[in-house]
Amino acid sequence: MEDRHVSLAHGNGGSYMRELIETVFARHLSNPLLDVQADAAALPPMDGVIMITTDGFTVQPLEFPGGTIGSLAVHGTVNDLAVSGARPCYLTLNAFIEEGFDMAQLERIVASLASAARETNVAVVAGDTKVLPRGQGGGLYLAATGVGVRPPNLELGLDRVKPGDLILVSGPVGDHGVAVMLAREQFGLSGELLSDAASVLPLTQALVPLPGLHFMRDPTRGGLATVLHEICRATGLETRLNQAAVPVRDQVASVCEMLGYDPFYLACEGRVVAVVESPQASEALARLQALPQGCQAAIIGSVNHGRPHVVLETELGGERILDELEDDPLPRIC
Amino acid sequence: MNMKEEQITRPCKPEARRWLIGGRVQGVGFRPFVYRLAQRFRLTGHVQNTSGQVVIEAAGKKKLLDVFGVALLAEAPPLAQPEMVHVEKIPYLERDGFEILQSSDNSSGRIHIPPDYFLCDDCKREMQTPGDRRYRYPFINCTQCGPRYTLITKLPYDRPNTVMTSFELCSQCLREYEDPGDRRFHAEPVACPTCGPQLCLSAPEGRINGPAALTASVTALRRGEIVAVKGIGGYHLMCDARNETAIGQLRTNKHRPHKPLALMFPWCGDDGLAQVRDELEIDAQGQALLRAPARPIVLLRRRRDSMLPRSITPGIREIGVMLPYSPLHHLLLHELDKPVVATSGNVSGEPVLTANAEAETRLARVTRVFLHHNRPIARPADDPVVRVIAGKPRLVRVGRGVGPVEFDLPGLFVQPLLAVGGHMKNSIALGWNGRAILSPHIGDLDAPRSMAVFEQVISDLQRLYGAFPQAIVCDAHKGYASSRWADRQGLPLIPVWHHHAHASALAAEHSRELTWLTFTWDGVGLGEDNTLWGGEALLGRPGVWRRVARLCPFRLPGGERAGREPWRSAAALCWESGIEPPAMGIRLELLKKAWKKGLNSRVTTAGGRLFDGAASLLGLLRHASYEGQAGMYLENIADACDSESEVDVIDLPLFQSATGLLTADWKPLLPALLNEAIPVARRAMQFHLSLANSIMVQAQRIHASTPFDRVGLTGGVFQNKLLAELAVSQLTAAGFEAYLPERTPCNDGGIALGQLVEAAAGLEAGAHGG
Ligand SMILES: [Fe+3]
Ligand SMILES: [Mg+2]
Ligand SMILES: [Zn+2]
Ligand SMILES: [Zn+2]
Repeated sequence: MEDRHVSLAHGNGGSYMRELIETVFARHLSNPLLDVQADAAALPPMDGVIMITTDGFTVQPLEFPGGTIGSLAVHGTVNDLAVSGARPCYLTLNAFIEEGFDMAQLERIVASLASAARETNVAVVAGDTKVLPRGQGGGLYLAATGVGVRPPNLELGLDRVKPGDLILVSGPVGDHGVAVMLAREQFGLSGELLSDAASVLPLTQALVPLPGLHFMRDPTRGGLATVLHEICRATGLETRLNQAAVPVRDQVASVCEMLGYDPFYLACEGRVVAVVESPQASEALARLQALPQGCQAAIIGSVNHGRPHVVLETELGGERILDELEDDPLPRIC
Repeated sequence: MNMKEEQITRPCKPEARRWLIGGRVQGVGFRPFVYRLAQRFRLTGHVQNTSGQVVIEAAGKKKLLDVFGVALLAEAPPLAQPEMVHVEKIPYLERDGFEILQSSDNSSGRIHIPPDYFLCDDCKREMQTPGDRRYRYPFINCTQCGPRYTLITKLPYDRPNTVMTSFELCSQCLREYEDPGDRRFHAEPVACPTCGPQLCLSAPEGRINGPAALTASVTALRRGEIVAVKGIGGYHLMCDARNETAIGQLRTNKHRPHKPLALMFPWCGDDGLAQVRDELEIDAQGQALLRAPARPIVLLRRRRDSMLPRSITPGIREIGVMLPYSPLHHLLLHELDKPVVATSGNVSGEPVLTANAEAETRLARVTRVFLHHNRPIARPADDPVVRVIAGKPRLVRVGRGVGPVEFDLPGLFVQPLLAVGGHMKNSIALGWNGRAILSPHIGDLDAPRSMAVFEQVISDLQRLYGAFPQAIVCDAHKGYASSRWADRQGLPLIPVWHHHAHASALAAEHSRELTWLTFTWDGVGLGEDNTLWGGEALLGRPGVWRRVARLCPFRLPGGERAGREPWRSAAALCWESGIEPPAMGIRLELLKKAWKKGLNSRVTTAGGRLFDGAASLLGLLRHASYEGQAGMYLENIADACDSESEVDVIDLPLFQSATGLLTADWKPLLPALLNEAIPVARRAMQFHLSLANSIMVQAQRIHASTPFDRVGLTGGVFQNKLLAELAVSQLTAAGFEAYLPERTPCNDGGIALGQLVEAAAGLEAGAHGG
């Protein structure tokens, strides 16, 4: 009877491994540039500035409402290129599989990875798999490298952020963080709330033509607040967030309220934070809102002269400094 | 040659002496006093301010010099607190008269920053005398009264080094200022209607300058409007204390649904207290406190027949009351002739606002009527708050007229230290050369304005006292804004455990040498085992505290929210005991799962959270709109229990771990709290009594194996008068000496001093050990 679990033999370079690659990975990911026999992939010449990024994925659980670690690997990598102003073209993929991993789940994950790649129009051109002994690796880790091209004249970066700029977000924050947490802890509320994991390429491409666009970032780990901290640290300027203006889904807000989390620190996997010169902010907003993924986009804050703090203007007129994310924040109210 | 022989051989020959006088001698009219004294004894010489001290050189007959020397201390003006530093004989000086010399700036002195003073009787009389050139002038002052701490920008304390430097003295004021015989001689903030600060009312209808602004403000208050009034240390938000609608409006606009509002009463009757007496229960101690120079907010019980609206202090019988302290407040309240609500003009938790334009912007949601004046405020100072507990006045908040609070701690701080305090109710402390000062209350450090004032106060106090620390002490909790700030300064950092700081602050006030058993009960603070403490008993003394007892730990779900939502504590206490929480109108399934898994559910021993839970289980409140609300409600309802003697004490079992740590189990309290057959007041009383009893039992158990000298009670929980007094009386009955903080708040407003003392003791121990 066929064993439907990954064994150490699948990683030893022999026939099991070839079979795993061919039946699972190559079958789903096949494209003209992917040659599983070759040591390296040859890419055609590209027009523009070549951008490259790399990322590792260790999300738990591996499958969550709205995505899997496979689709997340594609979206995460593609989004890093997209917010740099690039069009993603190619990916490479590393899979670290734990011995005993369910083959059917692996198939599902690779299939979702493949469909995410197809939808975002990127080809997986090289890859590798390793099998780790039981007890290591949390089931499956993925690592991906992405290659894209950016128009040569496009200048985006923290060094372009100026006082007076406005800050936009393309949609509600915290969906991914809450969806994954609920799924991980098996709270039984999963299914109602989906991760926002998606490619942000349509959003970034809508903004890129605006000369007043200064900076974009996808608020992943550490969420919106962490992106604002990066802006403060790099520019020495203050960022201000208008609490009432930041879109947060009711369900995310109520879970956060109950469990004591702050949605501004929770990860998103399909949102863009953009810093735009004030006169073009409404145009930028209109462009985001014209896209289905950006219908809840909002202008949420501003960059100002002042101490490099992230300041939250509360709905009651108070001001609160949002600190940098800590691993395991302790209550401070005595 | 002996003295007798000298007197005989040179009976009346003039001689000269030099006195160096320290203590509080600047900004209190000490130099003109010395001048007048020298005139009286016909001595020649001079008097001079150096940084913080006064130098006097005088020549005359020996006998007269002797009397003069005694009178320097004995007859000093009321606000001065002179201390003789040094006397010596000097060569005879040939002088024509006695002069006051220009201040010299050498920074080796023992500097005292005077707090802000209330309007003195002399000035009050002048202000009320028609025809006097300062009749009804709201900025009248003299050497014996007026602002100081909120006015000084530099030392020595001279007019150019205050915010008054922009007001040029008119010829009449200048004459008084320069006349050593005048009571305004070198009164640095001296002013009159011609040359001094002026009022200005800003309202939607327009601006009114000068005295009419005051009348217009009174009219607005009478109409039931909210007026932001700029005082000494910042703005107050005022409204008619008898007008329910106005109070409701203030509460709505300030988003402050329940937090007690302080009242200011007009000065009325012979002792000023006539109107206070109509509304509040006041004994001799209360009278003295209300009239004390600091003019603090004193917490007093509302009389049963009081007509004051309940909405001033919802759910609480005590009201914070103060008398007018500045001439402006006197004039305003006198004309209005009834009490006003006078609450800090700030955005919740932030320092009180001080700048005209900023006040108009930040308070725009609360009012559009502002009574400004154009005397700048150098740094904010909130009103101080005092509560009498166990027979003594205890500072609940250090503020105007009180701070900076000075402590003599001989032997400590060979290396100057700065302590940055906690995160909530922050204040800071400086220690150097055997002295320490605790700053006035700054605020909760969540807000940018709090951080800005925090930094300003640190830099101002270092500069003013000439004390520049080479190391910074902070709480061990790395997430406190104060700890983060300290970490960025590039100086050596000394983290101190939160409850060690509480215990050391109390020891610093009373004794650093004796061995203490100190109960440090508060909300939550980071403990040595990385859990959140707040129900501990620490044995030892500064530098060597050891945890010997604690309340039974429990998991508290929801992180920081638990501090504002007592229902979480209630649920956690129930779950921990295996009881289903009573229906609270909140769906608990998700939270219970998180609690089971330990998700954002920290282990804590916090007494404050136990009080939260109890208040919530008694149905007093689910959500707190201000800190300490649950404890205050619980205390207040217990107070209504008139059969205290019939209430049974519930024993809290004590378990001892292998290491000797005692754990007091609160679980037996739960069934009693939930027993609806018993009136709420009685259950609340039983809760207090049982915890007080547990404190005593813990002390006895510990004393049996490890003797100690004194029992300390500190941490925010002991702001609860009922608990504190029950604990003190039980401890006293059991033969212990029990102490509470007096000059430092037992809440986190006092921990900066404790941090200093704890760190210094640790450094000392380190130096001896290595
Ligand atoms: Fe505390
Ligand atoms: Mg990434
Ligand atoms: Zn006076
Ligand atoms: Zn004048």
